[in-house]
Amino acid sequence: MKSLFFTGKGGVGKSTLSSAFGYQLAEKGYKVLIVSLDPAHNLGDIFSVKLDSKETSFSKNLSLSEVDLSKASKKYLKENTKVFEEVYGYLKVLNLDRYFNILKYTPGMEENAALIEIDRIFSTGDKFDFIVFDTPPTGITLRILALPSITINWLEQLIGIRKQILEKRYTIRKVREGNTETEKLKYDESDDKVIVKLYRMHEKYRNLESLIRGNNNTVSVVFNPDFLSMKESERLIKSLDELGIPLRLTFNNKFDSCLSEDADKIEKYLLSQKNDVINQRIGFSGNKKNPGYIIPDDLIQNYLKGNTDV
Amino acid sequence: MSLIKKIYRSLVFFIKSIDQAHRIKAVEVTEYELRELENLFVLLLMGSFTGIPSPSTLVSAELIPDLTREIEVLNKRAEDAFDAFNELAGTIGID
Repeated sequence: MKSLFFTGKGGVGKSTLSSAFGYQLAEKGYKVLIVSLDPAHNLGDIFSVKLDSKETSFSKNLSLSEVDLSKASKKYLKENTKVFEEVYGYLKVLNLDRYFNILKYTPGMEENAALIEIDRIFSTGDKFDFIVFDTPPTGITLRILALPSITINWLEQLIGIRKQILEKRYTIRKVREGNTETEKLKYDESDDKVIVKLYRMHEKYRNLESLIRGNNNTVSVVFNPDFLSMKESERLIKSLDELGIPLRLTFNNKFDSCLSEDADKIEKYLLSQKNDVINQRIGFSGNKKNPGYIIPDDLIQNYLKGNTDV
Repeated sequence: MSLIKKIYRSLVFFIKSIDQAHRIKAVEVTEYELRELENLFVLLLMGSFTGIPSPSTLVSAELIPDLTREIEVLNKRAEDAFDAFNELAGTIGID
């Protein structure tokens, strides 16, 4: 299973290009899933079908799905806050339990939900040869992609402290040989639920991080030959570098021959340091003969061979 | 005979008590450290209460149900926070 993320400023054509890429791969006989993570969904409009977070089969090889991030974050929080409701169930008597509803407005929840959805899609990914992600505009996408490594850092720190706690508990127990409260505390890593959970989360986020950074994932940046999209793409490319996420493809979308001077400048500005990135210009007028086919076939062939850096 | 036995028993008890006292004393500092670490652990997880950066909410939400003891320690530390230096000084034997 291979994955492909289309990122970029709002309105540059991420949805169009990801749809075309997915469609063209499916037409070649591969099983493809196109997922839209953008809260302002266009995927259904492009294919003229009604979609939700379940995978809907569009043709024999092509499935589509639109992830509703606010719904996904509510669902996830509901599962996670069940434990609060169990512990504080008595608050129902005073009708105070409804205050837990405020939890669904926790900051950062949507990014978390998006990541969990990506994880879920990856884990069911064996059904597909390719998964194409249409992402939300730059800011949100970067936060989603940064989340695994930030969380891993936190978890590693927490695991370190927890290990020290368990070591100290062990020392106290060995020296005192007694039965006081401190000495009865769990000191073995396999008995301590907290460290077990920490390890489990660490493993999960590590997997996600390696999936995102790995060779089977391609991150592409879509931009237009204009100043604003150039500036935003520059920040995006820099941030991807900082996150250690390899950029392999760029699309200079909505290109027109009258803009070729600007397009040259922008490509030079953005990609002069990037020797291993392949850039593809996509015409403004599309493919009139064959509307679904706007990505040149040789790019797709290169991508299929796995050497997008040729 | 029974007197000797009594003396012997008292002696054993006495020596055992000394041993026990030393054992308690020996890990006093470790126990203090343990409490502080547990305190710190929860403080990091619930940093948003104190205004320090915290990990993603999901990490905290997942761990909190298993941290009853640590939260108790945190509360206790918060109560006698002003006395923390005194306690530390007492534990490591500074007058």
